[in-house]
Amino acid sequence: SSTRNQNISQPLPSALATARVIEDINSISYPDGIKSPSVELNANAKQGKFRYDRDFLLQFMAVCKEKPDSLPPLDAIGLEPSDQSFTM
Amino acid sequence: QEVDMQAQADAIRTVFSDPTNFNVKHPLYSPWTLWFDSPATKGRNLPQTPMSSFPQTPLPQTPGAAAAQGWMEDIKRVISFDSVEEFWGMYNNIVPPSQLPQKANYYLFKEGIIPAWEDEANKNGGKWSIQLPKDKNRSNVDKMWLYTMLAAIGETFDPQLSESSPQSLITGVIVSTRPQFYRLSIWTRAAPTGAGEDEKLRERIEAIGRHFKISVLGYSESQKLAGPLATEVEFLSHKDSEKKGKAAKKPWVV
Repeated sequence: SSTRNQNISQPLPSALATARVIEDINSISYPDGIKSPSVELNANAKQGKFRYDRDFLLQFMAVCKEKPDSLPPLDAIGLEPSDQSFTM
Repeated sequence: QEVDMQAQADAIRTVFSDPTNFNVKHPLYSPWTLWFDSPATKGRNLPQTPMSSFPQTPLPQTPGAAAAQGWMEDIKRVISFDSVEEFWGMYNNIVPPSQLPQKANYYLFKEGIIPAWEDEANKNGGKWSIQLPKDKNRSNVDKMWLYTMLAAIGETFDPQLSESSPQSLITGVIVSTRPQFYRLSIWTRAAPTGAGEDEKLRERIEAIGRHFKISVLGYSESQKLAGPLATEVEFLSHKDSEKKGKAAKKPWVV
């Protein structure tokens, strides 16, 4: 594919930017050990209007680690961790 | 033809089967925007949030809206996102509430809704909130905020959200850090006014409060939470929140 030649230091942002939106949540099969989203929550789901239970969502935590392209540098918006040992 | 469709289905790669080269993502029920403020975002050499990042809906020309706009200059837009994958990319690269400076707030609101009472989507609404003493909850607050955000973006706060009433009552969620406590809030689009006909709305709002207390925060149904620096899970309409002193309304508690 044409994405092969891209700078390999930033593979995830391009996947995030180019990935298609899932249209039928019930058609997706997940690898063994990954729980599907609650069927009950999506019984009458219209295209793209999906609801997700917490256990399903938590599975992404360890996988989606890359900083999204659209996240600004945190110091530019004044969002920096405070040093708790000094402020407390 | 059937073979083609099968090949297409086989080619779907979620982030679980290929974390770097996935080709489908999980859309959220609504797009969301995360906002942030702290004493450090007020003035002081920081670029203003550009007007272009404000919601496209025209702001009503009322004194309230103008005041909200002034206040919004001190609030920074962190990111907007519309997929589960982007949410976690953001979550894994920002600062959790336990590490924020004092007097800071995260506001996670549906895209197009300003995190202010004056917004059209909020002005007739209210909020469920809980205040937690800081020293006892420093190790819990990050999980409580994460679970609050997951219930918001997963759209599981409002059990009566359905095909017949597809608009969620939730407009946003907030975490606030103060010198001695944390506060978590769930903002709703509507609030009971006390008139007889809103019994259904009352039930729906109450279900949101109970879900927040039990499933999100992890307390038991009958657990008493109020104490020094602590409150119950309590609801006030934004209009009643403005009433102080003798006119102050007692909050509704679950």
